[in-house]
Amino acid sequence: MRHFLVMTAFAVMAAVVFGTVAKDTPRDRLTYGLKVFLEFMAIGLLLSWVLYFLPF
Amino acid sequence: MSRVEIERIGKHESAPTRAWMIGLAGWLVPGLGHLLQGRWVRALLLAATVWLCFLSGLWMGGHLFSVGGSEQGLSALLQFPPMIANLGSGILYIVSWLFGVGFADDPAHAARATFEYGNTFLLVAGLLNYLGMLDAFDIAAGRKA
Repeated sequence: MRHFLVMTAFAVMAAVVFGTVAKDTPRDRLTYGLKVFLEFMAIGLLLSWVLYFLPF
Repeated sequence: MSRVEIERIGKHESAPTRAWMIGLAGWLVPGLGHLLQGRWVRALLLAATVWLCFLSGLWMGGHLFSVGGSEQGLSALLQFPPMIANLGSGILYIVSWLFGVGFADDPAHAARATFEYGNTFLLVAGLLNYLGMLDAFDIAAGRKA
């Protein structure tokens, strides 16, 4: 559970900064920040399952 | 050369200097580059995120990198890239260095379960602040709104 919380905190912080510095309008920034957050979470979970099945 | 042209050139040349100063302020104090330009929401978001990331990293037992420790040769060289990332935190890194917080090479410290998480958070805090600094520079230079 702790690993998931740390990953979530990391994704939130990266998404906030990415959303803040990218795009031109507040709406676009919010959309982009959410997209980055979801991408971080999805890729993190996907990689964790891939690594789970690796024997080393 | 007309007065208008001189003023135009003067403005053109003064903008980069101001932008460099804004960029420097943004690096030194996370969020200050945006705050000086009146972008207080962005300043608050950047500052809060970088501070939170850095302090979380320290709390999890992360290690701050520096060149000039006990390492020699290639090992010392390998300290350089993470030190550049850590240095992005600006005053947070400098204050930590002055007080010796986070720089200790202690095996017991490194054995903590959250040690690598802490390292990553400390590195990313610096890298995120570099992004904020570049954004503040671009705004000051008139490259973006």
